[in-house]
Amino acid sequence: MAKKLRELTFELKAESPSALPTDFLHYGVVGSGDMEVIMEHQELAGAVRIIVRTPVAGFDEVWRRVLERFVNQTGMADARIEINDNNATPVVVTLRLHQALAEIAEGGARHV
Amino acid sequence: MSKKQWESRKADYQARMNAAAPYIHAGKVVAAADTTRVLEAVIRPFDRVNIEGNNQKQADFLAESLIKCDLEQVHDLHMVQSAVPLPVHLDMFEVGIAKKLDFAYGGPMGARVAEAIKHGKLELGAIHTYLELFARYFIDLTPRVSLVCAYEGDASGNLYTGFNTEDTPAIAEATKFRQGIVIAQVNKLVDKVSRVDIPGDWVDIVIESPKPFFLEPLFTRDPANITDTQVLMAMMAIKGIYGEYGVKRLNHGIGFNTAAIELLLPTYGEELGLKGKICTEFALNPHPTMIPAIESGWVESIHSFGGELGMQKYCEARGDVFFLGPDGTMRSNRAFSQTAGHYACDMFIGGTLQIDRFGNSSTATASRVAGFGGAPNMGCDAKGRRHPTEAWLKCGAEFTSQSEYLGNMPRGKRLVVQMVETFGEKMVPTFVDELDAWKLAQNANLALPPVMIYADDLTHILTEEGIAFLHKCGSLEERMAAIRGIAGFTEVGLAAKPAETRTLRDKGIIRTPDDLGIDRMRANRSLLAAKNISELVEWSGGLYDPPARFRNW
Amino acid sequence: MSSDWETLQNRSFLESNARARAIGLADPGTFTELAGPRCRLSSPHLPLLGEAVEFDDGIVTGVGRHGSRPLFIASQEGRFVGGSVGEVHGAKLVNIVRMAHQAYDRMLAETPELPEERRPAVVISFETGGVRLHEANAGLLAHAELMDQFQDCKGKVPVIGIIGGRVGCFGGMGFVAAATDAIIMSPFGRLGLTGPEVIEEEMGKDEFDASDRALVYRVTGGKHKYIMGDCNLLVEDTIAAFRQGLGKVLAMSYAEIDRLRRIGSLDKVKAQLRTLAALVEIAPRDSRDVWTFAGNPAAETLVDMKLDDFLRTVKRLENAS
Repeated sequence: MAKKLRELTFELKAESPSALPTDFLHYGVVGSGDMEVIMEHQELAGAVRIIVRTPVAGFDEVWRRVLERFVNQTGMADARIEINDNNATPVVVTLRLHQALAEIAEGGARHV
Repeated sequence: MSKKQWESRKADYQARMNAAAPYIHAGKVVAAADTTRVLEAVIRPFDRVNIEGNNQKQADFLAESLIKCDLEQVHDLHMVQSAVPLPVHLDMFEVGIAKKLDFAYGGPMGARVAEAIKHGKLELGAIHTYLELFARYFIDLTPRVSLVCAYEGDASGNLYTGFNTEDTPAIAEATKFRQGIVIAQVNKLVDKVSRVDIPGDWVDIVIESPKPFFLEPLFTRDPANITDTQVLMAMMAIKGIYGEYGVKRLNHGIGFNTAAIELLLPTYGEELGLKGKICTEFALNPHPTMIPAIESGWVESIHSFGGELGMQKYCEARGDVFFLGPDGTMRSNRAFSQTAGHYACDMFIGGTLQIDRFGNSSTATASRVAGFGGAPNMGCDAKGRRHPTEAWLKCGAEFTSQSEYLGNMPRGKRLVVQMVETFGEKMVPTFVDELDAWKLAQNANLALPPVMIYADDLTHILTEEGIAFLHKCGSLEERMAAIRGIAGFTEVGLAAKPAETRTLRDKGIIRTPDDLGIDRMRANRSLLAAKNISELVEWSGGLYDPPARFRNW
Repeated sequence: MSSDWETLQNRSFLESNARARAIGLADPGTFTELAGPRCRLSSPHLPLLGEAVEFDDGIVTGVGRHGSRPLFIASQEGRFVGGSVGEVHGAKLVNIVRMAHQAYDRMLAETPELPEERRPAVVISFETGGVRLHEANAGLLAHAELMDQFQDCKGKVPVIGIIGGRVGCFGGMGFVAAATDAIIMSPFGRLGLTGPEVIEEEMGKDEFDASDRALVYRVTGGKHKYIMGDCNLLVEDTIAAFRQGLGKVLAMSYAEIDRLRRIGSLDKVKAQLRTLAALVEIAPRDSRDVWTFAGNPAAETLVDMKLDDFLRTVKRLENAS
């Protein structure tokens, strides 16, 4: 029997938080070695809740570290983030998350 | 006292050629159908035999003919050859035609080499670099019989090897001048060859093969497969290394990372004002991804190890850049280009599968004896080099531990750069505690783990996290900390201490994309001067004729 | 927003993702996505098999405008499981076509004299290998339902297929594409039934070498399909060029568009059979023989010819124009 798609949940808090400046944003394509993300505003007392769906096992701690760094670097707060992953490496995850944020900054107007 | 015989090799040569004489007609020509009989006539058991072939062209017809020889007459050969990329090369060991192997590159047969060693079918001499193997052809591994390939041959044995001259001159010279036998398969028997690349009296037998020799387009990278991450790393390389040192003379390893650099020169490189200041002279195969940079006027000169399928017409039309003969066609030459790569280049940049915590790197895995081709020869400091250049002097001046040996004597240093993502495909970490090469050494009974680039030659590691300037480190401890600092989220990287990494950044030993002033948001495929093979053809004005497997129209 | 739409227009269709294509095919700022990522309609089957999911299940569906027409758009994402048709993916595709002819019925009921240029149209950007094997029953059913929808559109809503993605259009969706009213391709587009790898696997490398991409394109690529008449318009690889091609078709009357169909009437079938008989006669060993037969003596030069030169000089098979 094949293994099931895994769902990881992280609750993180930035050192110097500021609220996500958008309601809703979707970014990315779940190609091989890639991922997509939804970022939404949600009142979480300054925290960020991140749900990751991934076929890969054994990298839960790497996910936590990658996401922690992202949240701390961006100071993101009060946000719910959902990621559909298909074997994206940490560099791709980081790049896509930053690109998604940049898209928010540009008013969600870029289509890459 | 018996009189010393000084011409035994000559006598032996004559005896072998006499045995082959019935098959030889019209000068030096043998019919394709007689090839195996001729090989049986001139080859003796335990002979040292070379089958020409590297990572590009292959004397495949002669290899297929050799394996058909009668085992009674031909067996236990000692193969000395650049590469064993064709199945027939390994079949030779399975059936017993061959026993011992000295080579440089296993390519797709790496796993079979390991298997054959394990089962006692193959006795491995050593894994070399190309130039090292050629050197031994002239010392202790001189072939008795060499089987080479050419585009054209005539009845007197003159060969035209043209664009794909590659290893032929080195093999033919080493063999012939020790009274060995040189047999050539040619695509076409002609009255007059287009150009004499190998003089007729170095060649004993010419055979027109039923099919043209096999050519592998190993250096073609389809820009459609370059990722955003590779674009980011290419930006870091151009700004943080090429621009920083003013690297003008260099070699690029094979792979998508360096292809991305090549395709960013006319866009990002131009924007940084680096045209004319970097990348003017190369020892390099005719990479199709170089076309946009060449067309934009970046490149003064390229000397090539070999030819690349589809690039012939383009190279011929760019005579100011490539090395052309009086007949107007290019000549590659692996021995000379490797020499150029070793002595006359200021930088080697390439990739690998694994780097250990000390900075040693290897593409070997536990079950594959792949070999490294030419990379180690360029991915090392040329200790015999004496001529200065700006980049070489700057790197030498930064080499902290040099004074430990030289006192106050200045000396330059080659830049040797490994460009890798911290994780490879399927999340396999590039940074490891111990190279798989150790396990391979054990599995295949090798004297030492096959290392592509040793840590003491490596000056820079570039990952998506940053560039580590390893030669600036004062101690092994500091080097290891610098490696950890750019190893990202691999086990090796997770052991990094943030404070230590911070200190290394302050000292300029680690530089991140932020330190380099690189905007990650710009790191996407739109920066590439060509995004697919079709655009490369367009850049070339229709001169590049890509192989069928790379076409998408 | 509109300046962004402008940038999209010049972008390579091949390089763009399904969403960018959908947005760019509609008039500036008019595309509204329906059942998009926000709805999180991902596959219920893939997680059980440990496979990655996508919020839109690999297809972008929505409504925009093309001039005065409402344009119902579906755009498959080849990078997600090869653009394959799973249950959700298929349902989205079927329902966007259904919405189009329902809209047509409503609009005509309200305004019986509604001029043709204001009636709805459907455009589908195919980028797919066909059925998603992980959920094959639902995927196959969707193929059948989609064909049904095309029938319901007949006489009412023009259905235009677009093929310009990296995956091409293969498998069951090759049949579906053939059943549209018009097909627009770029030279990078590929259209066929059995995919090249499957042919090689079933019939051997001597019959069809799938790694020989030049061969694959000679058999399934845009230029070949244009000569054969399996595609109506061949355009450059930009979103703008596809949009212009779409505009060309949608400027026609329904009767004219209907004539673009490659199949679907007795006359068309007869014409196809005549061509087939003629081709059997010449026993072609390669597509190039067919091109020569169609009136292109220097067939080999067609492959690398620039598109405008190609379109100016190429001769198509008799029933193609």
